Amino acid sequence: MDKETDVTIVSTNLNKNILTKYPNYHVIDNNFNMEDLCKYTHVIFYNNLNNLSEKKVKEIFTFLKNNHIKFINITNNMEFTLLTAYLIIYDRSNILIEGPTLEVLKNTKLIKRIGLNLPFMVDLSLLLKDYNLLDKIYLDKEELRGVLWP
Amino acid sequence: MALNLVKDYGIIGICSTYQSNLNQNAFVKDLNIKDIDKALKIVDLDASIKDKVVKDLTLSEQFKVELATKLHDKTIIIGNLSNTLNYKTQEYMKKLFIKLNSDYNKNIIVIDNDIQVFFDLVKRIYVIFDRIVVYETSDFFDKELFKWVRIPKIIDFINYVNTNQPILQKTTDINELIKDIYRSVT
Repeated sequence: MDKETDVTIVSTNLNKNILTKYPNYHVIDNNFNMEDLCKYTHVIFYNNLNNLSEKKVKEIFTFLKNNHIKFINITNNMEFTLLTAYLIIYDRSNILIEGPTLEVLKNTKLIKRIGLNLPFMVDLSLLLKDYNLLDKIYLDKEELRGVLWP
Repeated sequence: MALNLVKDYGIIGICSTYQSNLNQNAFVKDLNIKDIDKALKIVDLDASIKDKVVKDLTLSEQFKVELATKLHDKTIIIGNLSNTLNYKTQEYMKKLFIKLNSDYNKNIIVIDNDIQVFFDLVKRIYVIFDRIVVYETSDFFDKELFKWVRIPKIIDFINYVNTNQPILQKTTDINELIKDIYRSVT
């Protein structure tokens, strides 16, 4: 994980103790502004982006990447896992699985067994794949519509 | 205001920010939880949690403890399911709320910024901004609603597919959606 620049962490049971596993990362408060983020090389968000729109979260992550700031977003919102390249899933205090985001999300049975859900487009694509209507995961609704109803 | 809104529907959803008032420095056993052992069991917590301090609990445990403090209220006001609970626990809580409403005549007000937690649960949604009800509806596919709140992905997808002509039925259940897509394309 050390080489990864943008990471999402989800957990079956979020607890602030998880922050102790990433001591090099500065914990960002709820009322942060973008300029303050530039003070740090490594930042971590603890479940405080969930009420923002996806567009706003993307803006924040783009800003961080453009300023070469490594970040971890710890969240309960599975849709936000698609906004980073690397995903770590904790079951209680142990890492269950980690890796490139889409590769991790393909482990649907494992993820659902521990009580998590999948991002909608991933779930939809994998279910349609089971019905032999798709051959891969589509994250874009326009593209998926074009494939199903050409 | 919310207490008046809930009377007609039993369970309502309010799209707004929820602030928990649980004392973070208290031991669970010292919180005002009536019939504490029974209450903890109902919210799916082990009795051993009584000796823990609230701030040391997981987010999910804190939610459940807070709910336990409210089980004896006639109207239960609770929020932040999407921020504190994983999917499986959200579904458990929704079933619990329905049971509390149908079997014990409780009124339930669920407050959350993510209306997806209201699926298969609430009879009416209210959007509150600056303490004012700015919109209300019982229809999850009400387009006016999404001027105020984040549109759930499943609804966004179905609305998009149906842009020029109705291809898919309106549903909030992904399994029903899959069946509908299958029927439509084969």
